[in-house]
Amino acid sequence: MPTFLFEHFVELDLANALQVVVLGFIGGILSGFIGSGGAFFMTPGMMNLGVPGIVAVGSNITHKFGKAMVGSRRHGELGNVDKRLGAFLIVTAFVGIQIAVWINNMLFEEGGDGHGGGAGAASNLYISMVFICILSLVAVSLLRDALRPRDEQHAQGPSMKIANFVAGLQLPPYVYFPVANVRVSLWVLMGVGLATGYLAGTIGVGGFIGVPAMIYVFGVPTAVATGTELYLAMFMGGFGALSYAYHGYVDIRLTMLLYLGSLVGLYIGAYGTKVVKEVMIRIVTGTVILICVLSRAVAVPMYLRQLGWTETDPAWDKYFNGASKALLFLAGISGCVIILTNVIRAYRERRRIQSSLMEAKASA
Amino acid sequence: MQIICISRGTLGGGRELAEHTARKLGCACLSREELIEAAIKEGIQVGRLEMAMIKPRIFSEQLAIEREYYRAFCTAYLCDRALEGRLVYHGRTGHLLLPGVDHVLSVRVVADQEQRIWRVIRELGLDRAKARKYVTDVDEDRRRWARSMYGVGWEETAHYDLVLNLQHMSVENAASSLVAVAQLPDFQMTPASQKAMTDLRLAARSRVALARHERTSRAKFKVRADGGVVTATYLPQDSRYAEFIPAALEPVEGIAEIRATMAETGILWIQERFDPASEAFQEVVELATKWNASVELLGLAPQAAGQDEEPSPPPAAPETAALEPAASGQYNGGIEDDVEEKASDAIGVKSTLDELAAVGRSGGGKVVRGGAQDLLESLDPSARYSLVVVGDLFLDKGHAARVRMTRDLQRFVGDHITAPVVGTDELKTQYLFGRRDVARLAGFMAVVAALYFLVFSNQGVVLKFLFGRHAVQVKDWPDAYRSASALDAALPRPTAERFRYSEGSETISWNSLAPMTEADRDALLGLVTSPAHRDAIEELYQDAQSRNFLPILAALAVFIFVPVIAHSYGTVAKSLMKLIKME
Repeated sequence: MPTFLFEHFVELDLANALQVVVLGFIGGILSGFIGSGGAFFMTPGMMNLGVPGIVAVGSNITHKFGKAMVGSRRHGELGNVDKRLGAFLIVTAFVGIQIAVWINNMLFEEGGDGHGGGAGAASNLYISMVFICILSLVAVSLLRDALRPRDEQHAQGPSMKIANFVAGLQLPPYVYFPVANVRVSLWVLMGVGLATGYLAGTIGVGGFIGVPAMIYVFGVPTAVATGTELYLAMFMGGFGALSYAYHGYVDIRLTMLLYLGSLVGLYIGAYGTKVVKEVMIRIVTGTVILICVLSRAVAVPMYLRQLGWTETDPAWDKYFNGASKALLFLAGISGCVIILTNVIRAYRERRRIQSSLMEAKASA
Repeated sequence: MQIICISRGTLGGGRELAEHTARKLGCACLSREELIEAAIKEGIQVGRLEMAMIKPRIFSEQLAIEREYYRAFCTAYLCDRALEGRLVYHGRTGHLLLPGVDHVLSVRVVADQEQRIWRVIRELGLDRAKARKYVTDVDEDRRRWARSMYGVGWEETAHYDLVLNLQHMSVENAASSLVAVAQLPDFQMTPASQKAMTDLRLAARSRVALARHERTSRAKFKVRADGGVVTATYLPQDSRYAEFIPAALEPVEGIAEIRATMAETGILWIQERFDPASEAFQEVVELATKWNASVELLGLAPQAAGQDEEPSPPPAAPETAALEPAASGQYNGGIEDDVEEKASDAIGVKSTLDELAAVGRSGGGKVVRGGAQDLLESLDPSARYSLVVVGDLFLDKGHAARVRMTRDLQRFVGDHITAPVVGTDELKTQYLFGRRDVARLAGFMAVVAALYFLVFSNQGVVLKFLFGRHAVQVKDWPDAYRSASALDAALPRPTAERFRYSEGSETISWNSLAPMTEADRDALLGLVTSPAHRDAIEELYQDAQSRNFLPILAALAVFIFVPVIAHSYGTVAKSLMKLIKME
């Protein structure tokens, strides 16, 4: 059992600190590669190191705040941010975050700090369950998309079914967004903002709902959806950081260690999207997320016992935790190996072409 | 040879005006309906495109390619007709199909809303409410069409030379005024504008040929032409189609050379004179190689003596090619010497493009005469650039004027193009690794190291501050009062809500902004008997005597500190990536 400083801040030794840096690096690579997320790996990873779920979420949302600030500035320069759309989503997203913080705080304060040895077990279970439900959906959709016949993928692009269905509903008033060039019902906007904020506040991955919703429900171009989500994430992260820090759940050391790995990983992951085929991106992402879901599911019996809902031997906890940790690292490391292999291969190939062009030019 | 493009609304009188004007000028009149018919005969699915553009749907890859095909076909068709003789075209936004062709007179016809509604009632037999909705819906559809097709607002008057309101003017008189305007030297064809149109037609015909060929029809291509040199740019994922480009373009007449460039994105480089041996060229090529981008050159010819020295941002009158003599600097009434080929050679566009083609980065190029507005009009509105590089301009001016005018032009371009606009001198600092980057990397690394050292060498203090509550360490806290439920049962409500015991860190804490009262302390002392525990409670009571603002301060500190560390370390990470050319 880890030792704590001031109630819920885990004591960090060098090995633990290095593991957090590695978590950040893998999360950064995945985040840069997928375009959003990364928290789906970092949050459970920290929980496996013994960090209470609520502190893991609080530290991660704080980490996301700074990361989104850096990323959205770059997207803004490229004209990929629809600030108007972002502004409409922010208002309801704040409400969503507040609901998430309130639920998390309530569960942490009141649930599971009994003799089971699992302070905040209710909060951990709740976070894990939301993780499992949402990320299963995302992984299955990604893999289904990737495994579609090739011709069908080429002809169809992103599915228009939901966007067309929502466009067919008469839900005035409508708001027009010039950068994204879409017209969206205010009610749909509010629903998506609320869901994005709630998920960002609960598991730190609002982008998994925000980006697909903007693409599939609003009909926003992919680049604008990613840019606008980062812009939104900056505000949500800022608000989430304030809320969690006010309740004392932000471990700034974890945030700083995550940055150490994630910001470098982010650039490598983003470079990977340029050199890895789109189908491969989807397959890698879907598989990694699915294994992360499995990793969280393995930890659930431990929380159930800590809450006194099941009768299992407390000695098994370390096996559940160990299996969960192993699965998580298996997902992250194998995903990273595939991405890094492709990135390094492409990088070397590019350098080779560049030098042969220079040689050709010199000899001409 | 003149071209008048009339942009009309539903039942706004545009069609009648076009027909009257054509009759007065004795020239051909082409309607959008005829153009659409020709496109349908070509095999383009215009109906499907129209539905996709005006309804809020997502564009599939295939539809986006179809849209390119349609636009190229319409451009080629319009250029063919315009080069045959004078032409009046009436439709939605015909002039946007001819970017960079200076002698096009673009006219928008507007009519009173009530008048249009009455015409709908009369001609379509609808009731008033339905007629109003009909007019509004059709206008909205056209707005979406123009936005999707060209990325511009259909109703923005800045895109037109003339806006005519037919409410108080008869169609006959409006046509007479249009004929008079069309006679002005500004709207006469010059060798320069004829060349622009010929290039545009060649590029459009080439694009159509690529869309017709079975091996290249499913790939995305951007095609530019300049004096018979056709440059086709394609994405890396379409590289398998590249070998079929020459075969696809074989039927197109007038092609002297074909250049194919693989690029993920485009860089637009605006300069007065290009030199492939310059440092700026090396930097642009280095950046293009790093980004896998094509480089499009845009030579901006200098202002003539006696003209307004500003880069003519709107509403200043644009310097058109007709008013801008190429060689003499004298006003020539719109008639220009046929020196365009020589001029483009003189400013180094061709030699620079040859060099770019040699390193596989050529994205085509052209020369524009006039000011900022002309420059903007010459750009393809559907082209998406990742970066616009503005080099040395206004070379005949003094240093101060040159810097000011270049800066103004940079701002003007930045306001109208959704891509960063930088000068060639900024390339090195912003996108390439130079000496300044070394200094920045070292500076930010020092800041990051200092911040990490401060936090990790003072973990206890930092965490106590972030914890935001008064806390005291205790050993062997009674088992009976370890859980929240046990404390709830043993203490009065307000005290139980604020007092906490943490098993993991063996601390008792006071979790409230409000100070601890004597009643709270007494209630807590009632739980324990050990002197050590009583002392710990007394210590907590002393600590919690004042209002606790720590949670607010901790939240604010995190809110301020995190962007600082993210920015500092982000700059370090970015610089490192820049150093190994892996951005």
